[in-house]
Amino acid sequence: MKPLTLHRVLWTCAALLAVLFAMILVALKVGAVPISITDLALNLGRVILGRRAEMQSDYRLIVFGLRLPRIVLGMMVGGALSVSGASFQALLRNPLADPYVLGVSSGGAVGAILALILLPQVALATPFAAFLGAIATIAAVYFLGRRRGQLDSTTLLLAGIISASFLSAVIIFLMTTTVGRDLRGMPFWLMGDLSAPLPESLHWILLAGLIVGIGAIYTTAADLNLITSGEREAMHLGVDVTRVKLVVYVSASLLTGLAVSVSGAIGYVGLLVPHVMRMLFGSDYRLLIPTSAIGGAIALLLADTLARTVALPTELPVGAVTAMVGAPLFIYLLRRRLR
Amino acid sequence: MEPHFSRGAFLFWMKLNFMRFGFETDFEGGAQRCARRLRIAAESLAALALLSFPAGAQGAQATAPPPAQTNAENPKPRALLVVEDDWGRRVEIPQPVRRIVSLAPSATETVYALGLQDRLVADTDFCDFPPEAKKLPKVGGPFTPNLEVVVSLKPDVVLLAGNSANRKETADALDLLHVPAYATNAKTIDDVLASIARLGEVLGAAEQGKALTDSLRARLVELRRKLGVAPPARVLFVVWQDPLISIGQETYIADALRWADAESVIETKLDWPHVSLEEVVHLQPDYLVFASDHPEEVTSILTGLRKLPGWRDLKALQENRVAIVSEAINRPAPRIVDAIEDVARQLHPEIFAESPHASLPRRTHEGRSPARQAATPAEANP
Repeated sequence: MKPLTLHRVLWTCAALLAVLFAMILVALKVGAVPISITDLALNLGRVILGRRAEMQSDYRLIVFGLRLPRIVLGMMVGGALSVSGASFQALLRNPLADPYVLGVSSGGAVGAILALILLPQVALATPFAAFLGAIATIAAVYFLGRRRGQLDSTTLLLAGIISASFLSAVIIFLMTTTVGRDLRGMPFWLMGDLSAPLPESLHWILLAGLIVGIGAIYTTAADLNLITSGEREAMHLGVDVTRVKLVVYVSASLLTGLAVSVSGAIGYVGLLVPHVMRMLFGSDYRLLIPTSAIGGAIALLLADTLARTVALPTELPVGAVTAMVGAPLFIYLLRRRLR
Repeated sequence: MEPHFSRGAFLFWMKLNFMRFGFETDFEGGAQRCARRLRIAAESLAALALLSFPAGAQGAQATAPPPAQTNAENPKPRALLVVEDDWGRRVEIPQPVRRIVSLAPSATETVYALGLQDRLVADTDFCDFPPEAKKLPKVGGPFTPNLEVVVSLKPDVVLLAGNSANRKETADALDLLHVPAYATNAKTIDDVLASIARLGEVLGAAEQGKALTDSLRARLVELRRKLGVAPPARVLFVVWQDPLISIGQETYIADALRWADAESVIETKLDWPHVSLEEVVHLQPDYLVFASDHPEEVTSILTGLRKLPGWRDLKALQENRVAIVSEAINRPAPRIVDAIEDVARQLHPEIFAESPHASLPRRTHEGRSPARQAATPAEANP
């Protein structure tokens, strides 16, 4: 194994960013309304030169009013889910951990729905409640997953899966029994969907939360490397395990809650992307966290572009695409590991 | 290929859309559509893999004209009509309205009934009436319309129907894109008539709207006079039979039944309640009411239900007291009055049989016969 240098981190990230940039161009180009490469290049040029006013108004609306915000949203959600998946995998020392499998996404969704039902007028109630739901769920799963004071890998996963199915049932209960409010859009929380455009202010809040969450987790990257080999060992090596765990649980729940509050519960991104990144670049968390963030952005952008285009003019929920692509890929990775 | 909706599928999908979320175009098969999708899918995959693409997704041009087409059309800013829609949203609609996109079957029917079809530039996969509406460019399903296509059509106004087809999120999204979106949200038949008149005003056809609603109201008043003081029939309106879904009292369908001198036996404030069969057996409704444009489907469903425990204990089913009404009853549009008259005729055959000369004229639009009357075959051929 080559030693990890700053040089290597930067070059790896630069390469991934190049892929992400190419993916953004593809996502800007394809869609229900055909847009030629020349027009796209011309209009991108206008934006870069600050001459937005010269654009035709429908290009502005379709490409920069609809596609670009959705692309940005998809990248942020994908990055948040992957980093939070990578952190749960380290803390729980379980390669199958992921916000969706552990029920954290469903917990966030329940929080968001309760906020929508009880506090429909309060601004930012939804993301905040999603965060609270996410953090409450991970706490519950963590305590349910312990046996004789030890974190047991199988019990933990089962606790997560059962919490997820319990919380999905709660969502269905709320959907079927709530009177007088239009909750027909709710299945979105179960499936994961990026089709609803959001006000710009929410994008900024999301970005700020993302930087804080990923930044906080990154400061613990070296400690996470040690924790993956065992909490006691890490403690002997001078890691303040309690503090690291607190920081990472809160940040990962923040990331999941934010992602869920804008996109519903999207599965498999947080599970698979860190795995693929580990296979490609090794399991050092100082490299794994930034590559997971960028890789998650690429993966969800790819999935959402497919969701937008395979069934034109109708769109699929992106969660259906990630599950359809993700589940077989996951089985493949699992079998490969066993061999 | 004729799109073929299964009975009640529209309402069923509204309630249980998480099972079909985003897949509603599957209702409308067709090799051509399939091929087009495959082509687009293949093209986007190729684009993803190679990062090099041919000149554009030609397939999508069927639904969306090239965006630049209508740009220089209106050099002068137009007058704005500021209205509040049924969701309480403030909407600014340029006048006169030249380009309408309908996101709901009921809105499409209303636009045709107002005689404004020339201004309708696109509608949804579910808009099947009048038959010409099927030929219009499509923007996807009412629940998941493709916003890009909607925006590219440069509508002056997008029409939505609150509690029968569309969700609030779609209106919010259109607001963010500064596309005027006007939603109706009828809970009673009075609301339906009022919303038709208001649509007439908003779209610049106030007179047609008033004439249309006046004649609809006259028919309802005449119907009420005719039905007189007959005790209301107690009915179970079956939206879907497995699981059993019915309607709540605060829906326009329940109100339509009330106009036809019938009452839904299910007492709930939920709009699309899942109902326990035990409860229905206990209540023993006089009639079962199904909404379908394909009565033969309902007949085969009934054959199946007669064998099932619970269902076979319903006297209405044993004695074949079943009314099959046109799917128009599911849509808050002018045709709902046809459906109300039809329900009344089926549930109160004695009143209509007494005075055959004064029976109500059957006002149905071209090419569509009223729903067959399984329960009272004698009345079907007077």
